[in-house]
Amino acid sequence: MDARTRILSRIGHTLKERPKALLPEHPHSPPSANPLDLFLKRLAENGAEGHLLEEERARELIWELSQGHPGATYGRGVPASFRLLPQLPPEEAPLGVSWALFAVAETGTVALSSEDGRKAQLLPPVHLVLVEEGRIYPSLLEALLDLKALPSALGLHSGPSKSADIGQVMVKGVHGPGRLVVAVLQGSW
Amino acid sequence: MQAKAKLYPKEAARLLREKPGVREAVTGATLHFEEGRKKAYGEIDAEALRERAKRVKDHLLTHLDHYLELAEKRLRENGVQVHWAEDPLDAHRILREVAVRHGVKRAVKAKSMLTEELGVNPLLESLGVEVFETDLGEYLIQLLGEPPSHIVGPAIHLALSDIQRLFHQRFGTPLDAPPEALAAVARKVLRDAFLTAELGISGANFLVAETGTLVLMENEGNIRLSTSLPKVHVAFVGIEKLLPRLADLALFLPLTARAATGQRLSTYVSLIQGPAKEGEEGPEEVHVVLVDHGRTALLHDPEAWEVLRCLRCGACLNACPVFRQTGGHPYGYVYSGPIGAVLDPGLLGLEEAYPLPYASTLCGACYEACPVKIPIPKLLLTWRHRAVERGLAPTWEKGAMRVFQMVMENPALYRLFSKALRGLPLPQHLLPLLRAWTEGRGPLKPSPRPFHELWKELEEEDGR
Ligand code: SF4
Repeated sequence: MDARTRILSRIGHTLKERPKALLPEHPHSPPSANPLDLFLKRLAENGAEGHLLEEERARELIWELSQGHPGATYGRGVPASFRLLPQLPPEEAPLGVSWALFAVAETGTVALSSEDGRKAQLLPPVHLVLVEEGRIYPSLLEALLDLKALPSALGLHSGPSKSADIGQVMVKGVHGPGRLVVAVLQGSW
Repeated sequence: MQAKAKLYPKEAARLLREKPGVREAVTGATLHFEEGRKKAYGEIDAEALRERAKRVKDHLLTHLDHYLELAEKRLRENGVQVHWAEDPLDAHRILREVAVRHGVKRAVKAKSMLTEELGVNPLLESLGVEVFETDLGEYLIQLLGEPPSHIVGPAIHLALSDIQRLFHQRFGTPLDAPPEALAAVARKVLRDAFLTAELGISGANFLVAETGTLVLMENEGNIRLSTSLPKVHVAFVGIEKLLPRLADLALFLPLTARAATGQRLSTYVSLIQGPAKEGEEGPEEVHVVLVDHGRTALLHDPEAWEVLRCLRCGACLNACPVFRQTGGHPYGYVYSGPIGAVLDPGLLGLEEAYPLPYASTLCGACYEACPVKIPIPKLLLTWRHRAVERGLAPTWEKGAMRVFQMVMENPALYRLFSKALRGLPLPQHLLPLLRAWTEGRGPLKPSPRPFHELWKELEEEDGR
């Protein structure tokens, strides 16, 4: 008998005499108003920066963030109109720009797919995430119930990389980006 | 990890004597975590959410075989290679096979208590693999050659000055280097490791059966890097870590983060389905090792099985006045604090973990903190009861308790004894029970007048 069979048969044997516990339904979330304000507020509380921007302002923001640097690295889903600087390898780029699948207001979170490319999300010290205004869910539950297919890896990012492991002092940018900037794009894309 | 739980009282006393700074560092850190949890629980209907989480976990555990088979099926469909391990030997065999097949020279590890249980680092080192712990706290204690002191904050027992000294010796940083500078040095070393390692190793906070999704929570980004950059990812998952449905994460991710660090959600959550698709960045192979190592035996235990709900959030450690005195090292096993005191006897056997169920004041703070409502105080008493039954507790304790009961139940005897205690000089150094108490404190001083006399006086004053 292999390990799998032994483990499963031990469990089966034990559970035969156990009363079974019922699985609770998911709660109903109350219908919420425009989640944008809450999203921006929670992002700020998480130590990230969020802005609601028109396309032109978003392009200006990319210029500002990349000031003085020769290039940036882009996620696959970033539209051509936002690729303003020459593409650098993610290991060297001072700025990573990604395109989010969706965002969650209650936790101040952007959801990033591996299809967009993981290195741009993790290696540069500054990370700019572009997300469509209509892709902000009020709650994590609504977002998860709506997810039809999962990419090979989905990252939920809710702020800059941080650690308090050295003498309980909060340090940003320990492994991932020390700065997370989210541009919520007005209109539809 | 070699268990040294039997030495608990001696180790705790030694630590308090030899490293007085530990108490300060641990108390400061745990109080900080505890404050965060209380604030975060205050924002939500914590009672209702804890009850809901408990019920989901109880459902999962009473249908565990079904969900394990479902998870395995989904993982395979996602292209993940699934393995089963009954014990550390199985786990070693599986890992060795993967490491040798890929000619692994370097491995990056994301903090995982289960890999501590299994002794993954010594195994890899014996294969000539260079292992990097990549969680900052875990990296610090790896440099020091120490085991983790806390489930969530493995290095909370270290003061800033300890770390400054360590980095001065290792990397030549100034003795007064600020935390940012030290973190920058670690970042540089570890960034190089991420980019060159062939193997990434992790645990899992959850494994969703419905979708076969591995879920990992963190704040630093090292887990995302460890599971994204190397070409092979091996995840060790305790069989109790499953959740039935993907949407259950909407309950468990925020609740765990609130309990552990007082956050609404941890900074990074990774939901991993499988290896990278054609043309994508990410590992070519993902392996999941489903590990028993004592868990099926615990499930079989009609009382102790409730500990299997544990999410390893560490909230009970932060709430525990006993843990605060010394941190996790004296407990002598991977799991310390209140959860260690009820989990370790189940995993190691009560004989190996004997004094741990006594490392508690039974104040109940651990239960109040626990996001899945594990009745830790009740389980402590269960294990204590078993210890007495199996003759592990000293026999004088049983005898003393019997005398105590007799005296307490008989008013005449009670009066006689309390009078005698007040009149006689207490031979405190002779009584083993009192000796343990008085060693760290002042001598016991009986009140000059008995309580029942004072009470009577009060009643008379009240005119009753
Ligand atoms: S017993 Fe409860 S509080 Fe303690 S680590 Fe486990 S889940 Fe957290």
